[in-house]
Parts: sequence; C-alpha cells; structure tokens
Amino acid sequence: MPAEIVAAITDIELMKASQIGMKGIAAALAVGLTGLGTGVAEMAIGSAAVGATAENKDIFGLALLFTVIPETIVIFGLVVALLVLFS
Amino acid sequence: MLKPRQMSRLFIAASKDQMEPVIQELYRHGVFHIEEFTDQAKEEYEGFRIGMPLAGASEVSSDLLTIRSLTAAYMVKADDEDPGTRRRTSEIRSLIERDLPVIEKETEGLTTMRSRFETEGKDLEQKIAALKPFAEIPVDLELLRGYESLAVFAGPIAHDVTLEIPHEHFYSPSKAGNFIVIIVPVEYRSQVEKVLGDAMFQQVQVPGETGPASVAISSYQLQIISVTEQIAANTAKLEENRKKYAGFLLACDELLTTDVSKAEAPLRFATTDQSFVAEGWVPVDEVAGLTEAINRVTKEKCYITEIPVDLEHDVVPMEYDNPSFSRPAQLIMDTYSRPRYTEIDPTLIIAFVFPLFFGLILGDVGYGLVLLVLSLVLRRYIKRGDGAQLVNLLTIFAISTIIFGILFSEFLGFKLPWEPLIFSRHMNIGTTHGEGAAIPGLLVMSIWIGILYITLGRLLGIINHARMDHGGHRMKAVLANVGWILLMWGLLSMIWSAFPIPFMPDLTVLPPIIAGLNIAALTGAVMLVLGILFIARDNPTEIVEIPSIISHILSFARLVAVGLSSVAIAMVVNLIAIGMIIEPQLQNFTPVSIIIILVGVLVFIVGHIGNGVLGLIGGGLQSLRLQYVEFFTKFYKGGGIKYNPFGMIRRFTED
Repeated sequence: MPAEIVAAITDIELMKASQIGMKGIAAALAVGLTGLGTGVAEMAIGSAAVGATAENKDIFGLALLFTVIPETIVIFGLVVALLVLFS
Repeated sequence: MLKPRQMSRLFIAASKDQMEPVIQELYRHGVFHIEEFTDQAKEEYEGFRIGMPLAGASEVSSDLLTIRSLTAAYMVKADDEDPGTRRRTSEIRSLIERDLPVIEKETEGLTTMRSRFETEGKDLEQKIAALKPFAEIPVDLELLRGYESLAVFAGPIAHDVTLEIPHEHFYSPSKAGNFIVIIVPVEYRSQVEKVLGDAMFQQVQVPGETGPASVAISSYQLQIISVTEQIAANTAKLEENRKKYAGFLLACDELLTTDVSKAEAPLRFATTDQSFVAEGWVPVDEVAGLTEAINRVTKEKCYITEIPVDLEHDVVPMEYDNPSFSRPAQLIMDTYSRPRYTEIDPTLIIAFVFPLFFGLILGDVGYGLVLLVLSLVLRRYIKRGDGAQLVNLLTIFAISTIIFGILFSEFLGFKLPWEPLIFSRHMNIGTTHGEGAAIPGLLVMSIWIGILYITLGRLLGIINHARMDHGGHRMKAVLANVGWILLMWGLLSMIWSAFPIPFMPDLTVLPPIIAGLNIAALTGAVMLVLGILFIARDNPTEIVEIPSIISHILSFARLVAVGLSSVAIAMVVNLIAIGMIIEPQLQNFTPVSIIIILVGVLVFIVGHIGNGVLGLIGGGLQSLRLQYVEFFTKFYKGGGIKYNPFGMIRRFTED
C-alpha cells in the first residue's frame, strides 16, 4: 500500500477516535453543567423547604415537590448526554 | 379498593342521665369518630352549649399526672414493654388507692437522693479542679493565705516572670497552662501586679483546704468514688423498681387515660340543661352493632339515627380500606397527605408501583439479599408503629430488588451465569469488548413507563374531578384532564410519524396524505389542538404548563439513569478491588501480597457498602419523587381528616 494511503487511513482513524472523545466531553458537559444548575437552583429552595417543614410537618409533600422542580434541568442534560453518546 | 372505608353519619340524642352509659358504650366499641360541637355551629343547634366534664374528672386527671411523672422518672415507655398478662381494671383501681402514694413517696425519695448525690459529685469535682494547679506547688495551702503584710498572687500565666524585689516564687509549667504563685511584701503589690499583668496573669482564689494540695485532692477523689458507688446503688434500686412497677404504671396510665377521655367526652358534645346530642362518623358496617348496644344499655331511652351524608359540605373522616400488604404504602400516603374521603385512594397503586420502581433502579441480587437480611434483622428490634411499616417496606424493596436483579442478571455488579432477561445494564468497564449496556432500550422502556403512568394519573384525575367538582366547573375540569391526555398522545403520534424510535410504534411507514403529513401526524395535530383548547377552557394560565408534559415524561428516565450509575459504581469497585489490586498479586504471589489482597478485599467491602447505601437512598427517594411529583400532581388533592375513633386499643388492662 502506498505510504500516502496508509497516512490517510491513519488520519481517518485518528479523526474517528477524536470524534468519540469529543462526544464523551460533550456528554460529560451536558450532565455536569446541568447538574450544577440544578444544584444551585435547589440550594435556596431546599433550605427554605426544610425550614418550612420544620415549622409545619403537614406541608412535607408540597415542600418536596418545590425542591425537586429544578431536577428537570439535569434530566434534560442526561437525555442530551445519552442522545449524544448513543445516536 | 381505591376507596376509603365507607362512613355513616350518626346522630345520638338523649337525656343527660343517659350520657354516662352512652359514653361507656361508645368508648368500648371504639368506632365513633366524634364530630366536635363548637359554639358557633349551625343554627339548628341554637340554645345548645358545650357540655361539662363528668363528675370526678379532675381527681382522675391529677392521678394521671402523678402516674405520668412516675413513668417519666422511671423512663417507662408503653412501646418498649411487653404487655404480658392483662390486669383487671377493678384490681388496678383498688391498687391505685393503696399503692400509688407509696410508690410515689419511694420514687420521690430515690430521685431526691439521686440529685443530691449528683450535686455532691459535681461539687467535689469543682473542688478538685480548683486544687489541681496547686498540686505542683510544694507549700501547704494554709501558708498561702491569711497574711496582712504579704500579698499572695496565684493563677495561670502565659510565661514565667523575674522580679527585682524580695519575693517567694513558685512556677509550674505544663501543657494545659502554666501556673505561678508569688508572695511579696504588700508594699510591692502594684509593681508586681503590673509585671504579672503583662504576662497575662489571672488571679485565682487560694482554696480553703489545709496541708498539701495533692493530699486534699486524693481525699476528695476517695469521696467521689464513694459518691459514685452510692449513685450506682441508687440507679440499681431505681432499675429494680422500674422492673417491679413498669407493668403496673403502664396499666394505671392506660386505665386513667381511658377514664379521663371518657370523663371529658361531654366537652365535645352539644348539651342543654336536660339533654345532650352527639354527632359523629361510624363505618357503615359498624352502625348496626353500635346502635343495638346503645339501645340495650339505655333501655331504648336514646334516639339514634343516621343522617344522610352531604358529600359536598360534610368533612368526612378518612380511614384506609386496603389489603394488609399495602400498609407501608399508607405511611407513604400519610407522609404526603391523607386522601380526602371523596377522592380515589391511590394507596394500592403506590403499593405496587413504588417497590417496582425501586427494584428497577437498584435491580441487583447481591444488594437485594443484603437489604433482605438487614430488614429481617431490624424486624427483631422494631415491632410497632411507623418504624415497623418502614421495615416491611424494606422487605418488599429487597424482594423487588432481587427479582429485578435476576432479570438484569446482576450480582454486586457481576454478571450472573445467564444473559439478562430484559435489557442489559452491564457496561464496558474494564473491558473494551462486549456488548455494553442496552441504553436506548432502557431509556425507551423508562419513557414508556412514564407515558403510561402519567396517563393513568390523568385518568384518575378525570374520575376525581367528576366525583368531587360541582356545577359548571365539573365538566370543564374533566375535559381539561381529557385535554392533557389528548395533548400527550397527540404529541407522541406526531413524533412517531416523523421519527422511527426503537421499541415504539413506527408510524413513518404510513403513506403521506397532505403536505407530506401522514394520517398519524394529522390525527396527532388534531388531538394536540383539541387538548390545548380543553386545557385553556378550564384555566388559560395552565397553557404555560404544557412543556411539563415533556419534562414529566423524561423525568422517568431517572429510573434508568440512577440505576445505571449504581451499576457503574459497582463495576468500578469490582475493577479496582479485583482487577487492579487482587488479581495482579495472585499472579505474582509473594508474602507481601497477603496484605495487599486484604486491602483489596477492604476496598471491595467498603465500596459495595457505600454503593448499597447510595442505592437505597437514591432508589427510594427517586421512586418516591416520581410518585409525589409526576403522578400525584395529575389527580391527587389530599388534605383528608384522619378517622380517629373515640376509644383506644388497650394493651395492659381488661374489664
């Protein structure tokens, strides 16, 4: 096989490998950043919810509901990550 | 099923002389949930007042107070004691008269003595603490005080000092703090004070004891030992009494609590000068028995009737009516909020789906077995109350985890000797070949669960609104729920007609009709528009909630995501412990290998314990959240009143 072709094939393989790597980074960013976003959003809600529940135990269900609302963000991140990795 | 226990509203009226027998009978049956009479009640109760307690209520209350203080002193708790044989109430009544003052006096003596000993011990300890710094000073204590011409400085100091004046000087350095004693003629006092002040000196009082401080300390230590012995003897005596009296005290407590609540029952009734009226709720199947019993004891001098229930205005107490295996789920329901009497009781659905979700997340035979053992051990210690229900829940979780572990073919992250019966969750960790996890399949499965579960929630919402709403709003609310279902399925139909998705209907194959859209896309679009119209008709602001359809369905992806992360951690632990630590050592075995292998085993155990705990918390909370947030928000109202019948379950006494 002529040397140029071998070099070209190696280049393509390298490109493929780096594409896989980029996908990995993209997926990690999608989950990681959305996770941070969710964490920041839940921080304030969570402390308020715990305080409110300590005052009145009956609103536990509602407090939990409020606290987990921002979790949607990380779920979207997860779905994006899975789509990036497996499609 | 899916319904609370059916209740009847019972109305009891009689002359006041029948009040006591009626109360006795109501209490004995323990099925009558009293609807409290308040002064500002309805107009048909004009002229009625809140009743007065029965005679003797205050004496019984004061006896009960004594009993409660005694049970507190002995730290007796009803839940910790085995009832054994029940005592007869007549026997206890006579014993209360005779024994209670004696027990009270004895206990008071013991507790007073105990607090005296404790104060004494504390005093001695304080004295020792004050003496301790002087132990290093080689001078008797009486030589350090009582001078007129000499000034004595004693106390902790930062560092030693040198003085240019005639003085006596003792310095004892130590880690806890340096201590100094300086004696100077009184005229140099202010000069010395300045020098000492610079060295952060703090004056302490010279203790009043005589002789060397160390001798005084050891004498006090001897006294402490004797006080401690006395405290121990006192504790032993209290413990002995506790054993002797616990059963009796609990029986008294139960009996007197019964008496007090009977005596105070009239406070919840409506009365006039000559008569009283009690209203309340009784389960339908208990009405006949209760009516007959009251008629018998009052010789038919009592008017009892059932009042028709007005579901729109009456607040009916709610009692669960579910098979016993769903008891733990009732706890889950009560934590959120008890269902109202008129709405669907979803406990049974939760009882099935909650463990199902948990198993789906954790799904590992190894962890399942560990949880099963844990729950069986806990079962021995926690026998009653909410804790026992949590243990039951743990057992159900464990079984569900084992079943899904078999389906997923997982044992602590390893593969069992068969291929996964549903989707594989084994990732390529530590290997580059192998099939890897069937992530698209798992993801679509979780989405399907979401779609079906949310549809179920909306269907229940339709039923609830049809039952609980009234007037024009009823139809709108029902249609809004239909609208949500139409919207979701319409959207799905449009997506399916545009993209082929594995494990979902492929509607792209249908022939296009207009503008490249096929029948599925068109139907979907119509459903979507209809859905939005129905929703907007009920409440236009709900329109902003429409994206929640997607977020709520995708939220079920956590069933897969949390599970996969737990599998990944388990596999990484296995890889580190076995692949990277133990296996290389087994190949080149040297005596040092034994230690390294032990380290590997430790990593394995700690890693799996950590992952197991994470899996229990994560799996439990995530599946709970799916119930509370994604499911309940579709139909559940909550805020029902607990059915709390007059009477109590007696464990220690009998008539």
